Amino acid sequence: MVDEQERLLPIANVGRIMKEILPPSAKISKEAKQTIQECATEFIGFVTGEASDRCHKENRKTVNGDDICWALSNLGFDNYAEAMARYLHKYREYEREKNRNSNSNNNQTLATTSGDNKDDEELHFGIEEQQVRQVETHQNLAPLEFQFIDKGKSSTSEPA
Amino acid sequence: MRQPGIYSGMLSGLSGKTGPHSLPLARIKKIMKKSGDDVKMISGEAPIVFSKACELFIEELTRRSWMMTMQGKRRTLQKDDVASAVAATDIFDFLVNLVTEPLNGDEDAPGGTDIIEH
Repeated sequence: MVDEQERLLPIANVGRIMKEILPPSAKISKEAKQTIQECATEFIGFVTGEASDRCHKENRKTVNGDDICWALSNLGFDNYAEAMARYLHKYREYEREKNRNSNSNNNQTLATTSGDNKDDEELHFGIEEQQVRQVETHQNLAPLEFQFIDKGKSSTSEPA
Repeated sequence: MRQPGIYSGMLSGLSGKTGPHSLPLARIKKIMKKSGDDVKMISGEAPIVFSKACELFIEELTRRSWMMTMQGKRRTLQKDDVASAVAATDIFDFLVNLVTEPLNGDEDAPGGTDIIEH
């Protein structure tokens, strides 16, 4: 019985989505909830199958977001396809922003996802700042060494 | 699997809801994999797209089912209402066998088994 539930979308989530669009006084029978739970699960399989067929025909191994959008459109869910294309675009933008922020701390090279000049400048600035901070830190940790290198006058750096 | 919550606020305009995804990404991925033998690799964004698409699907099916409930002057959405909504909507044709299947899970039963009350 546990296996049966694991092959479906969780009924609590399905029920919550249903409740949110129905009027507050509306009631939902358990059977109806289960039926919609199964329908939604079937929906995933149906659309995935279509998307997967297309990938197969185009000799691609990975089903991506674009394939899902295409499949939605092909199966008659045009309004979903449009909404998902917008959603996917925003999600990809978000991922690019996230990667850019983490790259600026690690890489000396520019993130390849951006062609925007303004963003490149910010990236450069981020790197320089980081390098400056590192130098300052080193000076704090080993002041004697730096003094030796820079000035050569510190009494502590001379041989005893 | 990653569950980005921050950007959901940005995207809330689509469905008017904020917060993380309504449906678990791992479960969606599992269902996708089970749909066919040739489904081998799934990009990280595919379950995220489905999480939203399923939400829209559930909303539409629920709305259409509720219309049937109201036609019957009732306040409780029944399984029959879902079956009626499926029958009345072309793009839901792929669900016809699912909503008229017998409850005991007997998949070999002929599709003509009538469990819809009139």
